[in-house]
Amino acid sequence: MDVKSKVIWVFLLLSSCLFVQQTVAQSDTGFVHIPKGEYWLGGRIHQLNPLRKVSTAGFDLAATELTNRLFEKFILATNYKTDAERFKNAMVFEPGLAEFKWLSDSTAYWRFPNGISRGGIENKMNHPVTCISYTDAEAYCKWAKVRLPSLDEWEIASRAGAKTTYFWGDNMDQIAEYANIWHGRDHLSPDLSDGYMYTAPVASFKPNAFGLYDMYGNVFEFCEGTLKTDPKNRRVVHARGGSWWCSNYACGFFNSLDVGRVNPRASFSNQGFRVLKNQTK
Amino acid sequence: MIILKNYIRFLFLAFGIFTTVPVFAQEGWVEASPASQAYHANRFKNTTPPYGLVKVKAMIAGIKATGGDSDIYFRVLSPKNYQSLSLPEKFTYHMIHPEVSSQNCDVPTPILEENLKIFGTLPDTFDEANWSERQLNFLISNRDSVLALISESVNRSKKVGLNYKTAIEHINGWEIIPLLIKTYKIDHKDHDILTVLIQLMKKNDYQPFMTSASYVKLYGNNSTYTSFINHNQANEDLIISRAEAFYNGRKK
Repeated sequence: MDVKSKVIWVFLLLSSCLFVQQTVAQSDTGFVHIPKGEYWLGGRIHQLNPLRKVSTAGFDLAATELTNRLFEKFILATNYKTDAERFKNAMVFEPGLAEFKWLSDSTAYWRFPNGISRGGIENKMNHPVTCISYTDAEAYCKWAKVRLPSLDEWEIASRAGAKTTYFWGDNMDQIAEYANIWHGRDHLSPDLSDGYMYTAPVASFKPNAFGLYDMYGNVFEFCEGTLKTDPKNRRVVHARGGSWWCSNYACGFFNSLDVGRVNPRASFSNQGFRVLKNQTK
Repeated sequence: MIILKNYIRFLFLAFGIFTTVPVFAQEGWVEASPASQAYHANRFKNTTPPYGLVKVKAMIAGIKATGGDSDIYFRVLSPKNYQSLSLPEKFTYHMIHPEVSSQNCDVPTPILEENLKIFGTLPDTFDEANWSERQLNFLISNRDSVLALISESVNRSKKVGLNYKTAIEHINGWEIIPLLIKTYKIDHKDHDILTVLIQLMKKNDYQPFMTSASYVKLYGNNSTYTSFINHNQANEDLIISRAEAFYNGRKK
């Protein structure tokens, strides 16, 4: 192991000691500096995310997913109308649906992420904003002078130096400590086994070794970038990390390997984002 | 600053356009064989029904975007136009035009030796889109007609597109099992037909299957939506014989 690698590992070890006890909710405005260095990404047999090494000059990523509180500031400042409000096309969830089935709900948007009948976010301002599209996330970023992480940046951050499927290893047995996911065998009945059926307040679960919360679960996080399988005749966008809806029996995308795809104008109540600070020169 | 060693194989990835730079790829990465990749592509082929196809396509092209701009992401036939379609034309509309977005995690990625596997779950039918409630309800409400139209189309094309497979599964179309088996046996290549047979047995709680080792592997506590059993002659024969026994018992 060379000197640079040793320094990185010492940093990771110290970070994990600092953060391992810190499971209470924290500020939704903090950023974590991801250090300059080389990182392993991808998996040995993953056909869309092959094993490779990349280098980064370092970047600052939000410690938490963007909250309803911060998104509301953007809306109040700009009067922006989200895609769900314009298209009336939001997709929502309620227990009882077959796997991968969602309901179209014309009343749903970020203030009522699963439709008006399922309640609003008045008491969930510290939850991640959802029911927004990639286009809405981009609009927020432009206003806030930040941007979405690239697919690589997201993965560097989520792995926190690990080469494994999860930042703690290849076995998902620790997922309940780090992520708000769906633990039920299917989605026919509610699952409140971890305290949350839908989103959880950001930073309700343990952070990874970099001090980043909810890298897995809670909401899918939009990223920038393309995959070789992206269609030529229409645009798709990508999101990573899985969500409160995801179970190991369904997609199981709450890991550092998989990359989801979605229509850039689609709004789901399990989609959100976290932001990355623009580099200052 | 950039050490480039062996990066040629991964130029197709546009991941690193921001602050990351590819350094090199590990030799250990295993790419799916051409046969596996071809099979993956074939799994996603849908069947286009002929019923009123020109008319339906024209109506779809004429749908105004719901966003009030030039976006073409959400094109739903108006209730008036929808009701003006005959039943076979509605069937065509549904088979070629999903109305709502689909969740972004349900797209199976290509995997190694995909052509040698029998999966427990069909892949997502329409990329980033899916059938809406009215479309799913149509399939259920007109179950017999839908099965008749699918049978007619499959008998003609000798193929069962992914959209047909998904519809058969959704409406629990067990009556079509003999046609599925007949079509599978033409070349024994479309293992997703076997997946439909499996799903029909599961949906109907067919005990010889529900208590089998295959069920545990595909749908047991350690299964995921990508669980599979290997394709070999023994598994193929077992699935088909079970499906035939289920069908013969059910039709009585």
